[in-house]
Amino acid sequence: MTEALFAMDDVTVALRSNGRKMVTGVGLSVKPGEAFGVVGESGSGKTLLTRTVFGLQDDAELVSGRVRFDGQLLPEQGYARAARKLLGGRIGFVPQDPFSSLNPTMRVGKQITEALYLARGMPMGAQRTKARAIEVLGEVGIPEPELAFNQFPDQFSGGMRQRIVFAIALAQEPKLLIADEPTTALDAITQRRVIELMLGRCRSHGMALILISHNLELLRQSVDRIAVLYGGQLHNITHADDIGSRTVHPYTEALFECIPSKEKTLADIRAIPGEPVGAGFGTKGCAFASRCRYAEPICRETQLPLNGDQPGRFSACLLGRGADA
Amino acid sequence: MRTLWTYARTNVERTALILAAIVILLAIFGAWLAPFDPTQIDFRARLQAPSWEHLLGTDGSGRDVLSRLLHGAQITILSTLAVLSVVVVFGCAVGMFSAFVGGPIDNMLMRLADVWLGFPPLILALGFASALGASLEAAIWALIFSWWPNYARLTRMVTVDILSRKFIASADALGVPTHAKVTRYVIPNAFDVLIVQVTLDISAIMLAISGLSFIGVGAQIPMPEWGAMIADGRSYVANGWWIVLAPGLMIFLTAFSFNVIGDMLRRELDPTSRRRQP
Amino acid sequence: MSYVVQRIAFSILSLFILLFVTFLLSQVVAGDPALIAAGPNAGAAKIAELRQQMGLDQPIFVQFGIYVGNILQGNLGTSWFTQQPIARDLMRELPPSLELVFLAMLINLAVSMPMGLLTARFAHTKFDDAVRLVVLAGAGLPVFWIAIILQQVVAGNWGILPIAGRLSFSNRDFSGATGFYLLDSLMQGNLNVFIDTLAHLALPAFALSLLFTAVGVRITRTSMINEFRKDYVTLARAKGAGEGRVMFRHVFANGATPALTVFGMQFGWMLGATVLVEEIFGRPGIGRYAIKAVTQSDIHAVVAVVFVVGVVFLIANLIVDMLVYALSPRKQRAG
Repeated sequence: MTEALFAMDDVTVALRSNGRKMVTGVGLSVKPGEAFGVVGESGSGKTLLTRTVFGLQDDAELVSGRVRFDGQLLPEQGYARAARKLLGGRIGFVPQDPFSSLNPTMRVGKQITEALYLARGMPMGAQRTKARAIEVLGEVGIPEPELAFNQFPDQFSGGMRQRIVFAIALAQEPKLLIADEPTTALDAITQRRVIELMLGRCRSHGMALILISHNLELLRQSVDRIAVLYGGQLHNITHADDIGSRTVHPYTEALFECIPSKEKTLADIRAIPGEPVGAGFGTKGCAFASRCRYAEPICRETQLPLNGDQPGRFSACLLGRGADA
Repeated sequence: MRTLWTYARTNVERTALILAAIVILLAIFGAWLAPFDPTQIDFRARLQAPSWEHLLGTDGSGRDVLSRLLHGAQITILSTLAVLSVVVVFGCAVGMFSAFVGGPIDNMLMRLADVWLGFPPLILALGFASALGASLEAAIWALIFSWWPNYARLTRMVTVDILSRKFIASADALGVPTHAKVTRYVIPNAFDVLIVQVTLDISAIMLAISGLSFIGVGAQIPMPEWGAMIADGRSYVANGWWIVLAPGLMIFLTAFSFNVIGDMLRRELDPTSRRRQP
Repeated sequence: MSYVVQRIAFSILSLFILLFVTFLLSQVVAGDPALIAAGPNAGAAKIAELRQQMGLDQPIFVQFGIYVGNILQGNLGTSWFTQQPIARDLMRELPPSLELVFLAMLINLAVSMPMGLLTARFAHTKFDDAVRLVVLAGAGLPVFWIAIILQQVVAGNWGILPIAGRLSFSNRDFSGATGFYLLDSLMQGNLNVFIDTLAHLALPAFALSLLFTAVGVRITRTSMINEFRKDYVTLARAKGAGEGRVMFRHVFANGATPALTVFGMQFGWMLGATVLVEEIFGRPGIGRYAIKAVTQSDIHAVVAVVFVVGVVFLIANLIVDMLVYALSPRKQRAG
């Protein structure tokens, strides 16, 4: 077992305004160079969790838990500030919407050179900076990078823009890249291409990747391990290959059953009954209990287990489903 | 009323509600409360500082400032309401008409409103008031004349937005006639937006009316309109500060209260400005 | 390019509507101009002759044509009160007013932009709430009232700034080529007059700016808040940019543009609002000129002021929109 690059343990996130706990007791760890997925429905707290953990969410804060990056434990006092310091250099971040994640009035090249400057903390000469920026643009598959350097974001398609955003992160040569729904706004084919590009580049640069998505199928085909969030709780961490082939957590199982594929007949595709529970639902038991087909009374009462002693795989099911092996 | 009170979150908002209620009550009952005749000139009693007899002192012609202030509340509030009611009805009619008709007429009307809105309202009113001859009625007409496009534009925007929604398509499919669409869907939906705008405009129109009266094209001087009172008191600032201070404070407090209430209503009623909860 | 053409076409359309409104004001609403021009003692024949001379027997569209023709030739009519061509009067009165408005606008921008940016960054904090309260109060201040009070307290009681006028008595003979004393005094290297002018401008400009600044802060805040919500702010932070860099290099440049349009409109409104302050501070200018004209029932002069303020408003908006366009990525790529 190699030392984890990034690890969080028993992390709870609450809103600053009313102290409501939106995400509770999440623990997971990512190894250097690993591609790690986080899946959850809209409102499951996955975006809030990541944005808060990396100091990008103003209206929420970490109320408990430990976060460790590259052997360094982040302090409880001034947490957000310390987390922000890791960004732009050691950790890269790709936001959700490529159509608004580039500054519309700044030339593409300038946005990359700014990233280079910020990562190094000092200028490295206009010529070299520009050459490096163009090189990165080429690396993410932008045609005619010299031309693109002087263009504005609105001259590119969504897929191209997301590549540029990726180039900005890549230029800073981080050890860990976080991509929050990077392809949700794109069409299916572009989606696949951008994800493949990200995976390939992360692998070749030895970068770890945390890919956040609501799309289990997309994650299953691209990452090594997947963490499953529901109602602000961590329910499952599983190897991507196990999904569909071995017993996993009931929620993961239910999610997988929603995905249409060649092997499944129409009867096999099953919607999850009931309405999804948003983060911060406020009961102490399992958030999924109200919709789970295996649920028993105990599920609504007993607190979910944490994955403190099971670093690799984990199932929070109180009935023990998916926890064996 | 009770709903308004529950909207209030801060003491400032509660104070504003109380102040606004007081001003409205003064507009209704103020004239009865006034201890003196607001236009009774008494040169023996001129420029008296506030005292137990004249709580807010007397002005340059010996008139009781408090009585004038109380009578003025009615004038100010009534003129503001007069402007607003005409402007809202006319503006909304034009706006809805424009939205329902669509096409080049809609386009032309809105261009017209755009151009109209741009011109400095005070100057436009000044021109209009001077053409009609200076009087409070002229000032009211002048403001109506320059203010209606605000509501035409707003209502048109809201109406177009509502007409583009799905439930209107289903209403169309069911053959709901236009007048029913207006009363059943457009007016209830536009109401919240309008009420916010009206509250915020109360102070703007009040300031405009008193401003026009101040420069002499609105209410004429013996009339106890607040702006005219300030104009009248100007020459006595040095030895009768209360004459200018009192009506100015009334205008300010009223306008401020309605601004605060408008801001509060926007927060409570306008979905686009609500705080986003993640 | 097509945007520029469209924008100019809109200005011309607006000008046309402005002309029509002022035409209606001066020719129709004000009553029979021939009757007024002939004076109270004129006979029916004289009036009929005047009617013909002034083209009043023509259809209204022809009359409108004559009106537009006159204005295009720079003829705004003659003032009954000053017995001067109104155009010449206004040329004299416009610079002091514009000077006042420029300074008030400067104060407005200097407060609104940073305050709007900061309240957007710290939205829904105590700081934001406090600023909002000040802004709501500012938006409820009667300009003329606060002007009188400032004049009495700051200039009268404290004696810090001059009470009224445009220049001190000792500088009464000053004159310059442009009529903008701030500019003229600098061009002549006369620092004494420059400071004197500024001192006389300070209070009226401040009083004039208050209401507009209150609105300006709100507008800028709204515009900036919209920007702060966008993902490029997240990306800038994720790049490791500090809050200062995020605010000034990224948010400000984008959020200032929509606000600029409003400031352009405010320029014209401010010029209109000079009627509320110039008289109080005894400054020459079109505001005071307009009030004088109103009290003298000098309808043509009033309408001319309406027209000129309208034109300044249109020009200010056109300039701002062109500026916004020139700064936009659209333009930079086209040019």
